[in-house]
Amino acid sequence: MSIDGELVVFIICGGLSVIGALGMVLSRKAVHSALFIAMVMINLAILYIANSAPFLGMVQIIVYTGAVMMLFLFVLMVVGVDSSDSLIETIRGQRLFGILFGVALAILLIGGIGSSLGDKPDIGLKAANDEFGGNVEGIANLIFSDYLFAFQATAALLITAGLGAVILTHREAWKPKASQKELSVARFMVGAGHPGNKPNPGVYARHNAVNTPAILPDGSLALDSVPEPVRSRDDSLIVDHRAVSTVVELVESEDQN
Amino acid sequence: MNTFTAPEIDYVAIAPILIVAIAALLSVLTETFLPRSVRRPVQMILTLISLIGALIVLVINRDIRTITGGGAVAIDGPALVLMGTILILALLSAFLVAERSLDSLGDSFAPSAAALPGSVDEREFSARGYFQTEIWTLFLFAVLGMLAFVVANDLLFMFVALEVMSLPLYLMVGMARRRRLLSQEAALKYFVLGAFSSAFFIFGAGLVYGFAGSISLPEINDALASTAGETLLIVIGMAMLLVGLLFKVGAVPFHQWTPDVYQGAPTPITAFMGATVKVAAFGAMMRLLYVAFSGIQWDWEIILWAVSILSMIIGSLIALTQSDVKRMLAYSAIAQSGFILVGVVAASPSGISAVMFYLIAYGLVTVGTLAVISMVRDSTGEATHLSKWAGLGKKSPVLGAVMAVFMLSLAGIPLTSGFVIKFSVFAAGIAEGDTWLVIAAVVASIIAAFFYVRVIVVMFFSAPNENTASVAVPSIFTTITVAATVTATLVLGIIPQPMIDLLTNAGIFIR
Repeated sequence: MSIDGELVVFIICGGLSVIGALGMVLSRKAVHSALFIAMVMINLAILYIANSAPFLGMVQIIVYTGAVMMLFLFVLMVVGVDSSDSLIETIRGQRLFGILFGVALAILLIGGIGSSLGDKPDIGLKAANDEFGGNVEGIANLIFSDYLFAFQATAALLITAGLGAVILTHREAWKPKASQKELSVARFMVGAGHPGNKPNPGVYARHNAVNTPAILPDGSLALDSVPEPVRSRDDSLIVDHRAVSTVVELVESEDQN
Repeated sequence: MNTFTAPEIDYVAIAPILIVAIAALLSVLTETFLPRSVRRPVQMILTLISLIGALIVLVINRDIRTITGGGAVAIDGPALVLMGTILILALLSAFLVAERSLDSLGDSFAPSAAALPGSVDEREFSARGYFQTEIWTLFLFAVLGMLAFVVANDLLFMFVALEVMSLPLYLMVGMARRRRLLSQEAALKYFVLGAFSSAFFIFGAGLVYGFAGSISLPEINDALASTAGETLLIVIGMAMLLVGLLFKVGAVPFHQWTPDVYQGAPTPITAFMGATVKVAAFGAMMRLLYVAFSGIQWDWEIILWAVSILSMIIGSLIALTQSDVKRMLAYSAIAQSGFILVGVVAASPSGISAVMFYLIAYGLVTVGTLAVISMVRDSTGEATHLSKWAGLGKKSPVLGAVMAVFMLSLAGIPLTSGFVIKFSVFAAGIAEGDTWLVIAAVVASIIAAFFYVRVIVVMFFSAPNENTASVAVPSIFTTITVAATVTATLVLGIIPQPMIDLLTNAGIFIR
């Protein structure tokens, strides 16, 4: 085998993409993983272009590296860049078996593909690209002839994906959203209660758990200091009876003075 | 330099698929433009009309045998039969989706899938009677994917169809009204594992292309015929394609998702996917193996032999230990996949018809059984624990009798369809010399009979106690489904000959 330009490109880009793939699996921080994937994809794109498939290479860079991976990074930024995965195994021996099966699959694939490619001639894309006068033209021809149905069925896939995203994330408003003016009017209405900040859970109490209602200065409980979803579960309120009696005693001794 | 020539498309031949596709798109527009109050009836009518319409067109098209759309679509006997099966089973499941009188809160689906489980929002949506009508749109897209899956004649279209079928199912599994965390967990598991298995499928397609230089099934067959010795490349590629398909039918060792998804999904969706996904995936599997890979039959027979025996034995044994009816049915579904694989391994025209008969009869029983399960309820929703079924047959004899028919059919007792299908699959296996496989299948059926009969024993031979669930009164929808499935199960069991004749004429894949 002679050393030509293609071989050099393959060794550099192929090696880098393997390093990137390993780095993606082995790095603990999600951001590093994402950047490693971007590295794998760029190297693959160069290989595609070197194999006279420029369209695939550019789409790989624009769609995967440009759009998908950057979107991924945005999500990571929202979730928190510093968050790292827990390394505790939930299933015992999972990592060991994972590595074992991974290596076995790699040996099978490398052996299988390697042994069967030995005497295959290089065909290349030149003939296919020339058939319709270019790489993009050739792909367009295939999309609209042999793979027309696959191309059209992808539309159903995209609609389902969009619909699914809406179903899982879009919450319809079941009441009209109050404006700031309406909110402040409602707050000062007669009978609306206390216009200022509500007491925090656990005020005057020795617990500061969210399900411990605050005690008001007269010894009664401020039930609305506990968030509604917690309050609605009737078994979840913890009333600090000793704190209540202390406050009541204080109030009574004040009254006597 | 060549110029573009448009592919010839036989619109009449693919009309059933087009009808469902158009209905699915109209259903999206319904969601977008119609007011909330009319969406539900419109969606329901649209779904029912399109499914029935597609079925009618299919019957009119029954003599069409053609390859169209640039070689991507093959309409042949098995494709027509399997499309018809999918449409009928989808229709019966659609009635279950439409049911809303069983649960005091409404139908089986979350009023708003986006509201957090247990939140104030969720309670408000429920109290206001909201309904996620998108379920119908997803349902139609899933049916579309299944129809495309059984006619796909190249690996790329097959892959896209597989995804069109799976994606709506992942979503629908996560939309149960009750026990929503369980449902969402099931959806996530199904999605992650499903995406993983799809990756295997497309990897395998890549390797097969590397060998054959084409992804069209007949051309792969030609490439195999013209190559002197088979190479490892095509065998690995074929095995990876099989991983993707065996995952969908829940065969061991790709079965881990099945119990959780069966249990977590809303029961109408369990019925829908339990019945139709098997039909679609086995249809695609047979087309793949018989049309593309008949040249390396010896290789895939060994793989499917092992998978079949493992599925039958492991599915049956684990089902014995289940105390939840839905989980038991899930393991039973794994075992049934093994039985169907006996017919697939047989690889003969009689094997093809036997598998198709199995898919039809098993699909009907699955939909029927889950319809019955959706009626057995207590204050927390469906009562699926077996202890709550104690004495149910005495409390409600009709429901008990219907369930007993389904259980006997799943166990393969004569005079039900289960006996006929098991018999024909085993006969096809013996005719092709797979005697040991059939012996293993018979042993597995005997183990399996135990847990099916146990349900009957619990229902009829133990006294009802204070834990026994009650039977909700269904509306016309569930009643139609249960009546149709139980009638079909008995009729196919007593006079199977017309169906066998029909399928014998349809058991040939075209190249």
